[in-house]
Amino acid sequence: MRRSMTIRRALRSLLFWAFGLGLGLACVSGQALAQAPAQTLELRAAQATVTLKGQTQQQAVNLPYHWDRKHPGLAGSATFELAFELAAVPIEPYALYLPRLGNAYEIWLNGTLLQTKGDLQQGNGADYAKAPRLIELDPSLLRTRNVFRVHIRADVGRRGGLAPLTLGPRAQVQELYQHDYDWRITGSLAVVIFSLLIGVVALALWATQVDVSASGWLKRDPLYLFAALAELSWTLRIGDTLIAHSPIAWPWWGMVGLLAATVWVSSMMLFCVEVADWGRLTAAIWLRRWLGLLLATSVAAGAAALAGGFPLAMTLLYAALGLTALIFASLFIWQAARGASLAHRLVALVLLWNTLVGLRDLYVFRISQGYGGNTLMRYSSVLFGVTLGCIVIMRFRAASAQARDLNANLLARVAHREQELTQSYQRLEQLAREQERALERSRILRDMHDGVGSHISTAIRQLESGRSGPGEVLQTLRDSLDQLKLSIDAMNLPPGDINALLANIRYRLEPRFLACNIAWQWNVEVLKPVSRLDASAMRQLQFMLFEALSNVLQHAQASVLQIAASSLSAAGTGVRLQIIDNGRGFDVAQVKHRGLLSMQERAHAIDATLDISSTARRTRLEITIE
Amino acid sequence: MGKVKQVWRVLVVEDDSQMREFFAASVSRCAELALAASCGTVAEAKAWLDDDRNTLDVLLTDLGLPDGSGLEVIRHAKRLHPHCEPLVISMFGDEDNVLASIEAGALGYIHKDSTPDDIAQTILDMRAGASPISPMIARRVLSKYLVYKENGALARVPTERYAMKNESLGATEGAASRGLLSPREQEVLGLIARGFSYAEIARLQALSVHTVQTHIKNLYGKLSVHSKNEAVFEATRMGLLSSLG
Repeated sequence: MRRSMTIRRALRSLLFWAFGLGLGLACVSGQALAQAPAQTLELRAAQATVTLKGQTQQQAVNLPYHWDRKHPGLAGSATFELAFELAAVPIEPYALYLPRLGNAYEIWLNGTLLQTKGDLQQGNGADYAKAPRLIELDPSLLRTRNVFRVHIRADVGRRGGLAPLTLGPRAQVQELYQHDYDWRITGSLAVVIFSLLIGVVALALWATQVDVSASGWLKRDPLYLFAALAELSWTLRIGDTLIAHSPIAWPWWGMVGLLAATVWVSSMMLFCVEVADWGRLTAAIWLRRWLGLLLATSVAAGAAALAGGFPLAMTLLYAALGLTALIFASLFIWQAARGASLAHRLVALVLLWNTLVGLRDLYVFRISQGYGGNTLMRYSSVLFGVTLGCIVIMRFRAASAQARDLNANLLARVAHREQELTQSYQRLEQLAREQERALERSRILRDMHDGVGSHISTAIRQLESGRSGPGEVLQTLRDSLDQLKLSIDAMNLPPGDINALLANIRYRLEPRFLACNIAWQWNVEVLKPVSRLDASAMRQLQFMLFEALSNVLQHAQASVLQIAASSLSAAGTGVRLQIIDNGRGFDVAQVKHRGLLSMQERAHAIDATLDISSTARRTRLEITIE
Repeated sequence: MGKVKQVWRVLVVEDDSQMREFFAASVSRCAELALAASCGTVAEAKAWLDDDRNTLDVLLTDLGLPDGSGLEVIRHAKRLHPHCEPLVISMFGDEDNVLASIEAGALGYIHKDSTPDDIAQTILDMRAGASPISPMIARRVLSKYLVYKENGALARVPTERYAMKNESLGATEGAASRGLLSPREQEVLGLIARGFSYAEIARLQALSVHTVQTHIKNLYGKLSVHSKNEAVFEATRMGLLSSLG
């Protein structure tokens, strides 16, 4: 907010200074025209011999002689004789300053040719009436009574004629000339360079600043196009001042100039329409049509005025253009005064200033009898280029602010997403942990149910029934504690390590066998870990072995227990476990002990096979894990 | 166990009064053992140990005490009575607790569900040089301390074959490097981890059972010293001790 205020203030002060400068320049040029140094001599009275359509007329005239005003629509030639007296023949160098003469001319002084430009016979040739002239005079050419003879050739609509001559000491006359030259030629050159630059930049902007519209078409901003057209046509129009030899012959070149002026005015208005964002209004469509008509008419009007001898056609065209511009400018400025965008108000100010300058130029060139002089609009119009620059800067600023916003927005969204992702990851992790805990809980519960729980409930039943002796109950309770120890050990068993499993079982259970005088034979090879046995499968296997050993301890009445373990293959894969006792044996087909059934179930659960064979003195239980 | 019957003085530390009485009675029943005292808390035990008039040969302590851990009692006893041999009373003999006890200085452990005779026998066995070790603990010790062995690569010397020289070898090893387990100890531990009994190991390795037992007891001592050295080493490394002195 604060930044935009600063920019507005800067733009305002820029505009203020531009206006000040324009106003100052106008004043300076006006003053210069009004002043005439005391020692110089201005020659206005002349004897003119005018030849029109082969007829020659003589008359006394008062300069300036503005050909197009005196002989509208006619070409011809004239000779002006200006007699004057000097009090004394000067000894210092003198000079003659002619603000405007032509279109071709010869100047003689007392019978000596001073200067000639262009062909006096060749109509519509090169035009030398655009620049002021300075001719240095050797004092020896001057006498007390002198005559200047000026021959001119004048074409139709080309501002031919003769302005008053100013004679005087060289230094003073040179100053007048230089001032005039700077304003008309050097200034125009500067304007041409500036306008060309702005025009090319605007054209480049139009060509490169492409938006993709909603419908998918590439859309260029017409604002830049109109600015470019206006600046480039203005370059052409003003550039004409600098050249005597036009690229194409008069009057066609004159039509190009007229067309350039029409294009300039039209483009300016259309530029303003874009600035005010009026492009979609019906009135804007009608304005475009009207301007198109004027553009087409301008060629015809030019032809009629410059070739057909109807200068009124051009005046009418200029009037139509001027009136259109005036009405449009009024609307535009009025709208700006009622409150509009900064760009609109800026352009309105420039438009107002240019309208005032344009009215002044209109008066000087089309209404007053003045000849010489210069359009000031070429300078004031430079402000349009400046406003275009301002608009581009404002747009760039807005675009970069938008980009910054977008960036910040994007960053915030990315951060938000990251946060969401982290949260969902945490939730997932928590879920996984909870699932793990649930699994662990259910494993422990199953353990307690199958192991300690079942033993304790058995002990309670034994005590309640009164049929079991203390020895049996003690046995059950010891089993329970052994189960508990085994389940705690199972927590630390490396998955798949059957060596560790067997060693642990021996460590926990052997003392009770020894107490019952059952000797252990240990034939356990080094076994490769069976990777498919996880913690739960290890526990199942542990249960199976515990059950098998319990049976031997309680029922077999054996004296030797052999535990054997070996790999199934030479490569060390798979395991065969054997528990062999030399007890009394049992009928495998007949005895359906609950423990045996549960062992079968467990073997099935871990994808192992259980095989039991029993004879007197040898009972073998074999577990095969592929 | 010489000709002169020596009586070992035992301190029992157990918070459960019923259990405490059971252990005290088990000790008292044995002619070769004498109950020095029985306590229920760390503070009581420490106070008893602090008293200069009290002497003991065996400390029998539970781990979970109301005012602290039995490990504290073990360390305290080893500091004030370096010759006493601590035994831990463990419900399950699970590897985490037993290993922590061994590192604190314990030379064995007794299961809570042991019979009175078993208890007395375990104490006497330990005094005679036999410390019990489960396959689980053997496996754990192997995996935990083997890395140190790899660092302290030692030349195999012939004396290694003779059990009685092992003591000095172990000391040399300890002094020379951080290598902890001798190859013989590794073999014995490996067999224990695979479930072989001391007798079977003695047969397989052509040793006496007593030698196998001595290996284990030495190992207990080494683990304790090692863990102390570890602590000092770590403390020095972290700047807790200014110098090793």
